[in-house]
Amino acid sequence: MRKISRRSFLASSVKAALFSGVGGFAVKGGAFAGSVPWSNWSGGQTCQPAGRYDIGSEDQLSSLLKKTSGAIRPVGSSHSFSPLVPTDGHLIVIDRLSGILDYDSETKQATIGAGSRLGDLGDPLAAIGQGMINLPDIDRQTVAGAIATGTHGTGVTLQALSACVASLRLVTPSGEVMDIDSTNQDLLHAARVNVGALGIVTQVTMQNRESYKLKKREWAAPTEDILENFDELAASHRHFEIFPLVYSDYSLVLSIDETDEPIGQIEVEAVPSDDASIAESLGLSDNPTPAERRQMSNATASRIQATESVDVSHKILSNVRNSRFNEMEYSVAAEVGAECLREILKTIYDEKIDVQFVLEYRYVGADQDWLSMSYGEHSHATISIHRMASADYRPYFNRIEPIFWKYGGRPHWGKVHSLTHKELSGLYPRFNDFMDLRRELDPHGRMLNPHLRDLFNA
Amino acid sequence: MKALLLRMFIFRMLALASILGLLSTSLSAAEPNLPGNDLGVTNPSMSDSAGSEAMAKWARSCALCHVTGEANAPVVGDTEEWQQRLQKGEAALLNNVVNGINSMPPLGYCMSCEAADFRVMIDFMAGVK
Repeated sequence: MRKISRRSFLASSVKAALFSGVGGFAVKGGAFAGSVPWSNWSGGQTCQPAGRYDIGSEDQLSSLLKKTSGAIRPVGSSHSFSPLVPTDGHLIVIDRLSGILDYDSETKQATIGAGSRLGDLGDPLAAIGQGMINLPDIDRQTVAGAIATGTHGTGVTLQALSACVASLRLVTPSGEVMDIDSTNQDLLHAARVNVGALGIVTQVTMQNRESYKLKKREWAAPTEDILENFDELAASHRHFEIFPLVYSDYSLVLSIDETDEPIGQIEVEAVPSDDASIAESLGLSDNPTPAERRQMSNATASRIQATESVDVSHKILSNVRNSRFNEMEYSVAAEVGAECLREILKTIYDEKIDVQFVLEYRYVGADQDWLSMSYGEHSHATISIHRMASADYRPYFNRIEPIFWKYGGRPHWGKVHSLTHKELSGLYPRFNDFMDLRRELDPHGRMLNPHLRDLFNA
Repeated sequence: MKALLLRMFIFRMLALASILGLLSTSLSAAEPNLPGNDLGVTNPSMSDSAGSEAMAKWARSCALCHVTGEANAPVVGDTEEWQQRLQKGEAALLNNVVNGINSMPPLGYCMSCEAADFRVMIDFMAGVK
């Protein structure tokens, strides 16, 4: 029996999803007489801004905001799937505010330009003996964007990236520069996950740690076997998550732990002929029933061979994603996470929802940031669903989103959701405090767009 | 030999881009006096044709993939590959950049870029100018 790797299985999953794509939201550009349209990474969000300001320094930004009064929206790498950016005002681009500005070898803190891309920081941080405590999956987000949206990695004891922000500098909509640190805990907890509503963050001081290596292990296992022991598995690994296969009893499993082993990789590469059988198992044969699809998918998944690799932390934790997709992610209390996941998988199966993309299920450590999806005293489970960018995500996401609500889910700010302040104020204990602070810092609402008006009742 | 020449071309272009990047923070005096100009804030829609700012932007965005060939991106200086794309015409190429194509996201990770910037970048990568 030929063996296949988890990576090749995922690649085939993406390939199958691509083949099933229908339609899309591509902007049809014209002659671009004015400013070119903006689209996010997936192409699911678009707008025609009045213009773009390419900010070169904090002083420039402050002066600009003092001198102008029109609508603005900050933009990082445009990786958010939710409509945080679209505006008919001006986009504020901060990718020139980048790089390591200062660091402290004793405290293991580094001050970083907020426009830095996460993927550009790993090597420079390693060169000064530091590594970020955790990282999200995609490495091309800016620091500002990742923090503002509460973006997180995996790990029951590891908090979102925002919780590692020791201090930050915020230029308010009126151009005032604010240094925000732990001397004002409330303000720091509000300003970290700010959804781009309080001002423009120009730099952040991150609490890092000494540079380190990680060992990643990937394999496939029956989903129920993993879910029954998920708490123990999550507690026994630095990072632990699963990617449940739809129409299958199996999940792809990922564990990551610190190691002193030499850098290297042991992986079984897929043989080309497996692609056809994988594609077939993913539903590309002639209209299989869910039961037939489950049988084929299980057979394929059971042949996935474990792989291991060792590398420096940032190369293990983050990835370049070249296949574009849209995503919805909610967090729910860890104790109901498995139940929520089971209901989603059952709904897909029972209602024959046409999707191939794997789900993602993991734990994230609790924190105290007002708009963090892991706000509180206990860790949360997060569940993600995806749809290839070439396909209309709405029918699938609209069907699954109420399941998240049923379990008290909190949405990821950078991912697709349909909640407004009416629901959000009941999900985040400090939500109304955040709305008050937003009104105080942006009384004229120049940082609001239609989506933020819905979020903050503005 | 072709691969060696290509690598040498890429190295020279990267060095040029790096130098241009260092020069990119100053604004052209030829720009009209519109909001932001007097503050040293770059508003790409007003840029002149100097292209130095465009190349600095290229180094921060397009270079992510077009230097290494990540995700099958045509590599800078590979004139054969670029010629095939140039044959589609400028309008089609700009549309692909603005809307994204294959693995390249809309705007190719350059959120500050306008059409004039993209024209400079395409010419640079194709070895046209």
